[in-house]
Amino acid sequence: MNTIAKSLRVSVLAATALGLFNACTKLDDESYNQIVTSQFTPTSQDVLALIGPAYSTWRPLYLEFNGVYRINETSTDETVTPARPNGWVDDGSFRRLHEHKWTALDATPRDAWNQSFAGITNCNRVLFQVESGQVPVPTGKEQLIAELRVLRASYYYMLCDLFGNVPIVDRFDVPAGFLPEQNTRKQVYDFIIKEVTEALPLLSDAADATTYGRFSNKWTAQALLAKMYLNAQVYTGQAEWVKCIAACDAVINSGKYALEPIQANVFKTQNEGSKEIIFAIPFDEVYATGFRVHMQTLQPQNQATYNAQASMWGGGICAIPQFINTYDPDDTRLRQNWIQGQQFSSSGVPLVGVFGAFTGKPLIFTNTLPGIDNSAEVDGFRVGKFEIKQGVRVDLSNDFPLFRYADILMMKAESLLRLSQTTQAADLVTQVRRRNFATAAKATVTAADLLRGSVYQYGPARNNVVSPVEGGADIQYGRFLDELGWEFTAEGHRRQDMIRFGVYTKKSWLSHVPNGDYRTLMPIPQNVLNTNAKLKQNPGY
Amino acid sequence: MKIPLPHTNNLVLLASLCGVAVTMPQKNLAATRISTSIFQADGPIKGRVIDNTGAGLPGVNVVVKGTTTGAQTDADGNYSLTAPDNAVLVFSFVGSTAQEVAVGGRSVINVTLQPDSKALGDVVVVGYGTQRRADLTSSVASVKEESFIKGATKDAGQLLQGKVAGLTVSTPSGDPTANSQILLRGTATLNSSTQPLVLIDGIPGTLNTVAPEDIESIDVLKDGSAAAIYGTRGTNGVILITTRRPKGNIEPTIEYSGYVSTQRIARRPEMLSASEYRQQLAGGVAFTDQGSSTDWIKEISQDPLIHVHNLTFKGGNGQTNYLLNGNYRYLEGIFKKSDNRTFTGRADINHAMYDGRVKINLGILNTNNRFTTTADGGSFNGYTYRQAVIRNPTAPVYNADGTYAQQLSLFNYENPLSRLYNSDGENTFQNTRLNGSIVWEPIDNLQLKALASNTRYNQIRGYSENKQHPSTLRDGLNGFASRGTTQIIDKLAELTASYNRSFGEHRFSALGGYSYQQNTAENYFMQNWDFPTDLFTYNNIGIGNALRLGRAPIYSDKTRWNLVGFFGRVTYNYKEKYLLLASVRREASSRFLGAKQPWGTFPAVSVGWRINQENFLQGATFLDDLKLRVGYGVTGTAPDASFLGVARLGYTGYFLSNGTWVQTLSPVSNPNPSLRWEEKQESNVGIDYSVFKGRISGTVDYYLRRTNGLLYDYQVPSPPNLFTTTTANVGAMENKGIEVLVNVVPVQTKNFVWNSSFNFSTNQNKLVSLTNDLYTLTNNFFNTGYTGEPIQTYTHRIEVGKRLGDFYGYKVVDVTDDGQWIYETKTGERLPYSQFSHSEDDKQVLGNGLPKYYAG
Repeated sequence: MNTIAKSLRVSVLAATALGLFNACTKLDDESYNQIVTSQFTPTSQDVLALIGPAYSTWRPLYLEFNGVYRINETSTDETVTPARPNGWVDDGSFRRLHEHKWTALDATPRDAWNQSFAGITNCNRVLFQVESGQVPVPTGKEQLIAELRVLRASYYYMLCDLFGNVPIVDRFDVPAGFLPEQNTRKQVYDFIIKEVTEALPLLSDAADATTYGRFSNKWTAQALLAKMYLNAQVYTGQAEWVKCIAACDAVINSGKYALEPIQANVFKTQNEGSKEIIFAIPFDEVYATGFRVHMQTLQPQNQATYNAQASMWGGGICAIPQFINTYDPDDTRLRQNWIQGQQFSSSGVPLVGVFGAFTGKPLIFTNTLPGIDNSAEVDGFRVGKFEIKQGVRVDLSNDFPLFRYADILMMKAESLLRLSQTTQAADLVTQVRRRNFATAAKATVTAADLLRGSVYQYGPARNNVVSPVEGGADIQYGRFLDELGWEFTAEGHRRQDMIRFGVYTKKSWLSHVPNGDYRTLMPIPQNVLNTNAKLKQNPGY
Repeated sequence: MKIPLPHTNNLVLLASLCGVAVTMPQKNLAATRISTSIFQADGPIKGRVIDNTGAGLPGVNVVVKGTTTGAQTDADGNYSLTAPDNAVLVFSFVGSTAQEVAVGGRSVINVTLQPDSKALGDVVVVGYGTQRRADLTSSVASVKEESFIKGATKDAGQLLQGKVAGLTVSTPSGDPTANSQILLRGTATLNSSTQPLVLIDGIPGTLNTVAPEDIESIDVLKDGSAAAIYGTRGTNGVILITTRRPKGNIEPTIEYSGYVSTQRIARRPEMLSASEYRQQLAGGVAFTDQGSSTDWIKEISQDPLIHVHNLTFKGGNGQTNYLLNGNYRYLEGIFKKSDNRTFTGRADINHAMYDGRVKINLGILNTNNRFTTTADGGSFNGYTYRQAVIRNPTAPVYNADGTYAQQLSLFNYENPLSRLYNSDGENTFQNTRLNGSIVWEPIDNLQLKALASNTRYNQIRGYSENKQHPSTLRDGLNGFASRGTTQIIDKLAELTASYNRSFGEHRFSALGGYSYQQNTAENYFMQNWDFPTDLFTYNNIGIGNALRLGRAPIYSDKTRWNLVGFFGRVTYNYKEKYLLLASVRREASSRFLGAKQPWGTFPAVSVGWRINQENFLQGATFLDDLKLRVGYGVTGTAPDASFLGVARLGYTGYFLSNGTWVQTLSPVSNPNPSLRWEEKQESNVGIDYSVFKGRISGTVDYYLRRTNGLLYDYQVPSPPNLFTTTTANVGAMENKGIEVLVNVVPVQTKNFVWNSSFNFSTNQNKLVSLTNDLYTLTNNFFNTGYTGEPIQTYTHRIEVGKRLGDFYGYKVVDVTDDGQWIYETKTGERLPYSQFSHSEDDKQVLGNGLPKYYAG
């Protein structure tokens, strides 16, 4: 008895001592603001929250300050970021984009790579969680997996277009220290086609709010396939015009989409639900910020025009005069898509200049631009395609259309044109043009028109004088390239289209002169090469 | 009572048996010897050893001559031992002249030791205790009150400016709310703060926790072998601040000190004056003459008033005593609307019980602070200064109607005075520290100590911009306000046991302890705008519309970490010649939660050889002290954030699902389960010297610090990583340098001492490597720093094999006649702007911002 009591006492003492010791050495493990994954068991209610990050990367990828949009727009003959009286020189990167002198250290390729792979890694992570059951998906698991595969392929489409030779990583559970191998552009192309094609049958037939902003229906997947086939010759050397037409036809024949009666409807502040949009990156001034093209393109005085809640940053993107000169003056897109002429306050008071010689003079945006290194506050038409609502904030609420119905029609038209089915191509182009002209006659494009060259007056331009004139008449299907320019201006299409028509690295415009064919691919960012010795820089860099 | 020693006779012994010590005339020693043979019995002897100022001397060796029996005095100088009545006691203490005292049958022997060299007798505060300067085996600098920088001082850091070799104290800002910055022996870490650990009476704090006027001494543990007892907090060195403490019997005393001062900008940037600007205009530069002449920097400046008052009360007796301190500091800055007001009150009470076996200390410290803010959450807004620097000197301050002249349609261009006077804000904080300790001496030479403290910091902030501020005139906010609070609670508990013992010529001490620190920080802020009125500034934030419309942010967070440590230390002294110190600390931080190795072990060992005690130097009487020290110690650094070892998810964005915005749960960083302590290994070799009775003394130290497993946000490959950087232990860095300190006493008379101190130090820094076992970079550098607008590029390159602080960019060497920059290429060629290619390859190291040597 005594012994038991004694040993009990001893063990109580020991337990107390041990408890004390544990209390004395316990490390605080409570996280108050974030979830420690190992302490978290997701339920089916968390599925949307968990797959969300795989999608939300599209926003910074395309439209953050140095996003793909800046590459696809301001390295082309359409728009430019010139030095302004208030700056816009930064570290010279805007000028390097225009002159095709960017390096592997520039922020634009770096951010494009990082964001694309962030999207891919998030897709791989969520795929792993869904497939392994870590994240329970009671219904529609197969369809969700298919959707995530197409979403992943959409990021690879960006990489294939910009960098070409990138590593294909399709799994999340890699060993520590794993370094992926580089793949060729052809392999990346094949991977995208395979992924989308395999996923396609499992996707939804719907085209409504449930599929909006997602790669969850067949038609969005088909649009992605059409883009891949359209550029197949560039990506692989092997044209796929027939397959491109088939993908476009699948979208057209679905009957889910239509052209808006006026083009501006596609780009309204509240453009979600537009019948013309197939896939848009959803933006919102409160929830999903980052679309700031109005801040970059307009002058601070324009704050009064829109009663904006912030002062605009002073002309970061404007039209290259040579591009504006290609428009038919009767084309409503010239006036709709570009902010030009005298600027007014919202109450109609004319705005005036504030810099140098223009101080106190009327603020009139003119189709002029002395050069990449020099511009006044009045120089250049400004991007006005996306509606800027009264009381606009730093962030727009307009969703950014990546694939739209007009795009499908034009992809099909181009494929037909290249297959010499010129009349059918001309009909489709006319169909897209019709809403932009007062008369059918003006809108109509003939087969003969489509076989003409470009009206773009290429050639270096200094102080608004083009010299020497290179012109665009020699560009095969140049007229079709012009049509693409007029319809898809400021939508981030131009770089890809110019490459496909062989113009991107061949012609001169404004302060740009050709700087090597290898510039059709961006350099693999230096920080990526620094961290993965298995990757080789793209040729030329 | 003072007893003239060493010669006594047996009458003294008889008298002392009755408990009375009587001064007797001196007799011959032979008589003593004869009489001692009569009394052979061993008896207990106790007493107290004091220095010439009357303060008790701890650590004095008391040895029965010719035997190994001995004792050591305690913290108050008391000792007790057993010795034959006829014995002779030898009292020795480094830095003092040894004394021999015949017991002569007495049971109480009090001794006053005279210093032979002042510095050597000093007691130096080291981790969890004190050491005599002579016993030190590591590099510790001790600055006493009398050596502090006199005059206007901002904080404890400035007291040390130029006083400690290897310690750089700088005041990077004229902002009266800014602290001084301290850097010890160069930068040994990449990611973390380089500020040393600051302990105020053993409790973590900052350089301005207590007023500089309330500080008695500051000790700086410089090398790793000294700092390693503080383990993971000691990498940047340790600054031990000892506040003024009541000691022994004190007549009730009141002390007041105070001063008034002002400040001027010694060198201001040279900007064009209005007339010089007009000359440029006349020369054809296309800017505008706006008709006024304004010196914008002068417009935003003021002649600041600074006054500081310090009041101390103290009193009590050997059993209970107290000290009360009140300190008020009113500081204005050199820019308008910049100020700082601080009141600090402190009470310190000591009580001794059970014959001094139990000692209790209670302390309370309370700081109330208030300063004006012209920035949201901050103090003076640096952007206002920038606007003053870039503004046209011909622009007027005011319009004819008295409003501020603005040109707000110019990008990022604001009248600096309108920014100052159309904004209004105030930060206040209160810092309250309660601390207590109890020391129990159950047997002689053994001390058990428990210390606990609770420090609570509460800050509340308010800031507003009225409807005349550019934020409304230009950005349309229609009045802006912001509020915020911060609370930080830091709890500390420490248990230590220490034991000192002497055996003849062997003296040793041992210390063991446990330390627990927990820190909880909570932040909260909200902003709002679109107010119906300016009347309430930030005080009625709810009436703004922006929050209601979902436009304004609201934020809160909470973090908690703790640190658990066990530590031990032994010191050993043989014959006052050979000294050894060894310590170890084993410590874990919650920062490493989920990582494989939250525990780290931080050992240290150091040895000393007092060469002047050797026989072969006995003849060198001019030499007071010559000591060679060698030490090695390891300290660690934890990352600045918790949970970096584990995968985490945060609600970071939104996803549109079926017309509804769903909050997304997204990873917040690449987890790194291999995360571990950054370790700094430091070797130190030093010499302490003192000659001619302390007229010339000083130290020479050489150190080599190598930091392994440098914590940094390293570039990692993406794919497969989600983020392009991971906080990881990669790379190594080296710092080495020499520190020389010379103290000279050129004049020393009874009433006047002239002390001069000189120091000199060097620091060489090198990044040794940037790789780890998982990932290797193909390049050997990374770029860091950022110029901000309008230039927007990185500023520094950190490269393997080179030192930190290299500026990297285009090298501009001249300007052409027409105002174009002339660049120098890497090959030394000079090219004008138009011919220079401005590629990344054209950048080069431009210089280094870190000095190569320091002198004070």
